[in-house]
This record gives sequence, C-alpha cells and structure tokens, in this order.
Amino acid sequence: MEFKDYYKILGVERSASQDEIKRAYRKLARKYHPDLNKDAGAEVRFKEIGEAYDVLGDAEKRAAYDQLGADYAAGQEFRPPPNWSFEFSTSGVGPDHDFSDFFETLFGRGRQSGGFSSRSQQFRSREFQERGEDHHARIVIDLADAINGAARSVTLRTPQLDENGLRTMRSRTLNVKIPKGVTDGQQIRLKGQGAPGIGGGPPGDLYLTVEFAPDPLYRIDGSDVYLDLPVAPWEAALGASVNTPTPSGPVNLKIPAGSGQGRKLRVKGRGIPSNPPGDFYAVLQIALPPANTAEARAVYEEMARKLAFDPRAKFGGK
Amino acid sequence: MTNNGSPVHTAEVVSPGMVLTVTQVCQSCKVDRVWISEMVSQGVLEPEGQSETEWQFNALHIRRIAIARRLERDFSLNAPGIALALQLLDEIEALRARLRSLEPARKGD
Repeated sequence: MEFKDYYKILGVERSASQDEIKRAYRKLARKYHPDLNKDAGAEVRFKEIGEAYDVLGDAEKRAAYDQLGADYAAGQEFRPPPNWSFEFSTSGVGPDHDFSDFFETLFGRGRQSGGFSSRSQQFRSREFQERGEDHHARIVIDLADAINGAARSVTLRTPQLDENGLRTMRSRTLNVKIPKGVTDGQQIRLKGQGAPGIGGGPPGDLYLTVEFAPDPLYRIDGSDVYLDLPVAPWEAALGASVNTPTPSGPVNLKIPAGSGQGRKLRVKGRGIPSNPPGDFYAVLQIALPPANTAEARAVYEEMARKLAFDPRAKFGGK
Repeated sequence: MTNNGSPVHTAEVVSPGMVLTVTQVCQSCKVDRVWISEMVSQGVLEPEGQSETEWQFNALHIRRIAIARRLERDFSLNAPGIALALQLLDEIEALRARLRSLEPARKGD
C-alpha cells in the first residue's frame, strides 16, 4: 500500500495551523467539486482532498498520522506498525465518504455517528415501512453509444452499515442498457436500484446523469451534432458533392455554389436519435492549398490578376 | 463491456415531462418539506401550482435537488448560498452552450 502525503495533497506545510489547513481545504474543495468542475479527474481529486482534510482537520487523527508518517514520503510503500489501532473519540466519518485503503488501514471504517441503525430497528419494531432513497451517479458514454444504444457496466460504491453499525463501502457492478437517443446532461433511471427500503418498503431508484466523453470529430449541442468539414476553395465557390462522415454513417453532402467560410449545412434527423431527433450540421472550413510549387504559385498569381477581389472591402478603405 | 452472466438492467429515459408531487420529491431525495419549501421560496425550485399541496415538480428538479444537497453538505451552505451557487452554475452552463454553438464561427474569424 502506498503512503499518502495528506499535507502535499492539501498543499500545506507539515507545520501548518488548523486554520491554514481548513483554508487550504475549502479553496481546493471549491476548485475540484464535481458539480463545479467538469474536468475528468476532478471527482477523484475532490475525494482525495476530502480524505486529507478528514485526517488533518481533526487534531486527534492528525497527531496519529504525524506520528506514523514522519518517516514516509508520498507514494512510498507503507506498512502500519504491528498492533496499530485507532479509536475515534468523536463520531467518526459520515456515511457519504468513500476513502482509500490507506485511510481505512490507519483509521478503520468510521463508526456510524447518528442513530440510523437504532432508528431503523425502531422502525422495524413498529412495522414502519419506508421506500429506500434514490441514488444518483454519473455515467460517461461515447457519442456512438447515444446513436446506437449500448450496454455498459457501472461500478457503484455505496455506503452501508453492517450488523455492528460499522460503515462499509459496498461495491456492486450493474450492467446497464443505455437507450439510444440520450443526450448530454439527460437523466436515465434504473428502477429499484437505489437504496433498499426500510422495514420491507420498496427500494429506491438509481438515477444516472449522462455525460458525453469528448469526441475527436464531432461537437454535440443538445441532440444536434456538428462537424467541421474542410473544403477546397473551388468546392465552396463552384459547389460540389462531398462524402461526409456523420455519427450514423457517411452521407453525400451537396455543397451549394458560392458557399462561404463557416456556412452551416444541415442534414435533418442525422443527429442524436432522441425524441424529436436532432440534426447534423456540417460547418464549412475552407482549406487553402499551399503555394509551395511553381505551378501553385502561378495559379494564385493568376487569381490575383484576374479576380477583382478585396477581402477587406468591408473596412471601407480605412 | 458487460460482465457475462449478470443481468442487464434497462435504463429508461427520464422525460422532463414526468411530474412529481412534493411527497414523491421528498421521498426520492430524502429531504423534508420544510427544505423543499425553503428552496422554492429562494427560487431554486420552481414547481407548477400555487400552494404546496398543488405543487408539481418535473423530473429535472430531482437532479437539481441532488446538486443542491451536495453543495449544501460539502460547503456548509445555507439556503441563499445554495441559490446563489446554482444560479451561477446555470449561467456557466448557458455560457458554455453558447460557446459551443459559436465555436465554428469563431474559428472562421
């Protein structure tokens, strides 16, 4: 197991005061919170920061960590000393945290603070029934998955209490069939896959918010799909028929004569097949042939002589 | 990309037209009515209907509530703080969408 340098994670000195640690944590948490930062990796970083603060923000845990970690550097192979045990005098970590093996080796799994287990027993004794909570997670898919539908396996880590009231993280893998036509930010639901119900109540649902992985070719806006389509100047000027990729297969796109840079050509219904289906847009990007041969230069020179073309006409001679 | 042998769960698309009562919302998100009321009075949630008993939430509110709860928990925000953060997030999202739609034109400048 690798040693985690919590000071480095929070970017503070080992001698930092509790106030400095709190400040560093708050700043980083705002920066990497997955609801505020959409970058891939922000969520992992946010968890790491949370774990570091859980230890360094608590004077007791910090002292224990300092005592253990004085001789270790980040990433170094770590073995806890024999007979190591840490007793929480406070309530321990909350049920929403998902901490590393390193953390759990040092501090164990947090004892549940609130009366959840006793409360649920109480509910049971009164034959109280309650529907389980809905769970929320994100799922990242490719554009092709939204076009064709896809089966994906999703691993979820959810907190759970064992019979001793200890928090454990339960990992489960769900095979999810993603319907075709989903769009970025859309929610999909898996019935009965949320938290179990209390006292025999029905389970909650699992909501997955769909996010698209960046696509090397296409841009996605709602259910519409955009492609930058390079064309030669003569194709734009004279018109042409161009073989163009779309997410659902190539089409022959007719470029009207006299098309300018950035012109959008729409292919109706060739975007994401949602309800209603999105459109596909090819955005013309006029590519200039290089003037790197005598022949090419001659053509450009001839154009310069024969075409009365002023690309800056709109400046009005200013 | 699925494990062989495990059952495959079919996800259904949550339509924005799906309507939930305040009781269903509370149950789904494990929040109480007072909290929902506060979010409505802050303008964070805008259900249809005049009185609390008539409130109808669309399914997209569920996602908004989940974000609000996470922001509340992770930054110890109070109700006006949640409202401000969500408003700024909405604006960022709208600007990003606008940026995406302008990108082709921008390249041509």
